[in-house]
Amino acid sequence: MSFNERYPMISPETLVFVLVGASIVLILVVVIRPSITASREGKIIAFLALFILPVVTAGVGASEHMERSEQTQFCLSCHIMEPYGKSLYVDDPAHIPAAHFQNHRIPADQACYTCHTDYAMFGTIQAKWEGLHHVYVYWFGTPMNPIRLYHPYNNRECLHCHAGARSFESATHMAMMDDLKSNKLSCTTSGCHDTIHNVEKLGEAKFWKPLE
Amino acid sequence: MLNKLRTSGVLLIFGLVIEALSLCWNTALSFMSFVVIGGLFFASGILLFLYSLVSGGREVREN
Repeated sequence: MSFNERYPMISPETLVFVLVGASIVLILVVVIRPSITASREGKIIAFLALFILPVVTAGVGASEHMERSEQTQFCLSCHIMEPYGKSLYVDDPAHIPAAHFQNHRIPADQACYTCHTDYAMFGTIQAKWEGLHHVYVYWFGTPMNPIRLYHPYNNRECLHCHAGARSFESATHMAMMDDLKSNKLSCTTSGCHDTIHNVEKLGEAKFWKPLE
Repeated sequence: MLNKLRTSGVLLIFGLVIEALSLCWNTALSFMSFVVIGGLFFASGILLFLYSLVSGGREVREN
């Protein structure tokens, strides 16, 4: 029996549940018998129960939520995103998101996040901030119809994976590399890779059914 | 001070229960309930506890 089999890694989710349980038990001790805080030991228990453990538990929980929010399933949990999820199954290699998703050029379980995060410093935080803005607009405002990006799509997100890849080293790409890097020319320019989610035409599209 | 400790504990228990429940689903709604509702209970519970420490010290000095 290997070390990992004997001592399986505890998942962050389990850790949160264990921490929540431990915190609640300690808090209940303080809530039921607050007089224990008269002693030095009681003060330490109260500090652990009412400050240290809840802060650690909230931190681990927040980290787990952040991790989960990168999943395709999370993005598609909003009704408004359904057509975009459906567009990942279009049976046409010219559809850029569909071709990336179906051929696992990006992790299928983090499809939205992989292409729509900002590959710069604090990119993940910016992506989450914009995500919170989406939720705010969804519930308290009027969502754009059709949905548009807040900023033009940055080539940096494509080049993060494609730059340096052998399949990318065509004469066409190399000739325009400077313009691509400086965003003077978009990868999604008309005539290049211009078929993105195309949700308006989903009714006419054929769909790929993955074999289970 | 003891009442503040009790209230702080109850608020934190609500926050913890909301955190645990929010992890049962992977949707934007569960994330928001963790951040908004859970965060509100957590913040108020912890702030009340910290306030009870400060005001408790003052009460002892006054007595």
